[in-house]
Amino acid sequence: MNTELLPVDLIRTLSMLLVITSVATVEIRRLRLSAVAYSIQALIIVALLASFAPGNPALYLWAGTALLTKAILTPYFLFRGIGSGDDRELKPLIGFGPSVLVAVLLMLGFYHLTHTHVALLAPNELAQQELFRTNLAVASTVFALGLYAVLTRRDAIKTVIGLCLLENGVHLSLVSLAPGLPETALFGVASEVVVTVYLLLYVIGGVRREFGTTDTFALRELHW
Amino acid sequence: MTADPAVVTSSLPVLAFLVPLAAGAVVLLGRRFGRVLAQAVTLVTAVAVLGIGVAMVARVVAHQVLVAWANELRVDGLSALLVVVIGGIGVLASVYSVRYVDRPAKPDRPGETIAPHRLPVFYGLLLWFLATMLFGCVTNNVVMLYVAVEATTLTSGLLVAFYWDRRALEAGYKYLMLLTIGITFALFGCVLIYAAGAATGGLGGGEALLLSEVRRVVGLIPSGTALIAVAFLIVGFGTKAGIAPFHPWLPDAHAEAPTPVSVLLSGVMIKMAMYALARTVSIFYPSWPELAVFAVGLGTFTMVLGVVLALAQDDLKRLLAYSSVSQMGYVVAGIGLGTYLGCYGGLFHLLNHAVFKSLLFMAVGALIYSTGARRISELGGLARKMPITSACFFIGAVAISGLPPLSGFMSKLTVFLALARAGMWWAAAVAVVVGLLTTVVLMRAASAVFWAQPAGQRAVNIAVREVPASMWVPMVILAVACVVLGVMPQIAYPLLDRAALVLATLGR
Repeated sequence: MNTELLPVDLIRTLSMLLVITSVATVEIRRLRLSAVAYSIQALIIVALLASFAPGNPALYLWAGTALLTKAILTPYFLFRGIGSGDDRELKPLIGFGPSVLVAVLLMLGFYHLTHTHVALLAPNELAQQELFRTNLAVASTVFALGLYAVLTRRDAIKTVIGLCLLENGVHLSLVSLAPGLPETALFGVASEVVVTVYLLLYVIGGVRREFGTTDTFALRELHW
Repeated sequence: MTADPAVVTSSLPVLAFLVPLAAGAVVLLGRRFGRVLAQAVTLVTAVAVLGIGVAMVARVVAHQVLVAWANELRVDGLSALLVVVIGGIGVLASVYSVRYVDRPAKPDRPGETIAPHRLPVFYGLLLWFLATMLFGCVTNNVVMLYVAVEATTLTSGLLVAFYWDRRALEAGYKYLMLLTIGITFALFGCVLIYAAGAATGGLGGGEALLLSEVRRVVGLIPSGTALIAVAFLIVGFGTKAGIAPFHPWLPDAHAEAPTPVSVLLSGVMIKMAMYALARTVSIFYPSWPELAVFAVGLGTFTMVLGVVLALAQDDLKRLLAYSSVSQMGYVVAGIGLGTYLGCYGGLFHLLNHAVFKSLLFMAVGALIYSTGARRISELGGLARKMPITSACFFIGAVAISGLPPLSGFMSKLTVFLALARAGMWWAAAVAVVVGLLTTVVLMRAASAVFWAQPAGQRAVNIAVREVPASMWVPMVILAVACVVLGVMPQIAYPLLDRAALVLATLGR
């Protein structure tokens, strides 16, 4: 990858916006607004991939794939899944104040951890460069925030949004870890996330009809 | 040890997954032609896949490695073993589902009905489920291996939730959510293998994606990276393979899915994930042999936890699901040793478990079909009314308990010997104790359901009859296989030998 062609400042700004939109996606308690925050986040990822692309033209294709799968299809499924009724998220396990604190701590912790120990995660020379270290740190932060949302949110739709964040983090890391990934593998990885989201929301639609709620705490038929 | 096998270009690896993929599309597109077309296409396709698997085995046993698409697809002994297991169980599960799924009442929920237009969807997804598993077994591309394993989750997700009631939906949601998160870790692991392989500088452009090539340069990968990659792979593929402590999705999904799907999940799918785990982690063994101790520890923990949880079950399908967790522990402990004997024992147990766990699930499915009940406390005294089912369940129970002369005895014995030979007496002792506990679990269930006087009123009042032939014939075939593999374990030797040599990186 030719790193001299990259718009460094733009990449930095987008990376920062990415982290902010991730926190917003996790913390906003209105599902529709949260999905809007997610959509903005997805668009930022597309922009980020495109701004890495001058150094590696294959990334234009990645950006195109991300636009279709993450910024168009996934939000479409999410809005359809949320429906037109009351979109207040069910009370999560952790209250708003502590949750923001946890999210910020996660953000700082993961960012710092990845940034300093990047050599372990990314054995290639490319990833040792400052810009790609930042990219990896941002990616792992988004991943951690997504995982946090999946683990602590009761609302099934919110857990799906968390899952989307988690997957976005993974895909972003591929820019630094696997820039030479062939199109078939990339397409496989990207399209599976959309199918997962579609299937999960389809099943959640069934849950809503059968249980009358999307509260995962209501799913208590099976234990042990 | 013999010379390296000859690498031959072949269309078999391509056909193995394209045939069921195309057939699945035909069934889903031809939904309006109804269930008969769907069933016919499914049966023919499953038989074709089995035929492809047998052809692969013949070539592999003759010391060939089959490749296609410029080494993107690669079939060695290990892949051929999995393909033939998927094909064989696939045929029997398809035959079994003809009567089991195709009837208006849902077997475990009397009175409810399945809309007829949903049946072709069942068969279409079943074929795609087979196709994705087969693709995972023939691909040589590390990232596509992840794609295949995740694809098996997607194709089977709606099969798990097929009955679309409260229990099935809960199981389906948990299944899709937990496995997707788990498998994401495997993606990190697979990408790390690729990135680390590429960074060694010893491989050309796309070669770092090919497992067979990364294997050659694995010694150049830094230890820290290798450790992280292995950890991610174990969490990722381990979740899918039902290894404790990543197993909680397994009993829900395996118990709530329609029985033919339970057969495929417990009998085949977790093996395919185990294959992915062994395929990827084994490349690190030559440089980091200390991984073996960790793997055996994980295996014994899985064995113990699985059997202890199985002891507490009243629901027969959940009991079998937890016992699958426990039995996967033996496979992990055997393959995890990294020695030829350990890998041979682990793979032999993988094969045997596919046979007897499918048999046991089918027998429990037969009970559900005939009585509508699946709790041990609701059943009793069925040996006379359902003689074939009870005999088959009993054979399966003896085999899984590891009692001679049936198949489980031979494979468990091999694992015990391998553990002892590697000096891990503690693990061998745990494995023996778990074997005894498995006997208790299964025999207690068998005696309560088939021989004891029924505890409740329910079983007596229903006019219980033996299941139709399309359901008991697959069971009898599997029961015979349990006996044959136990009495003549050498018939599996040529294939298991080729498969074990692929994984045995730490000598004999």
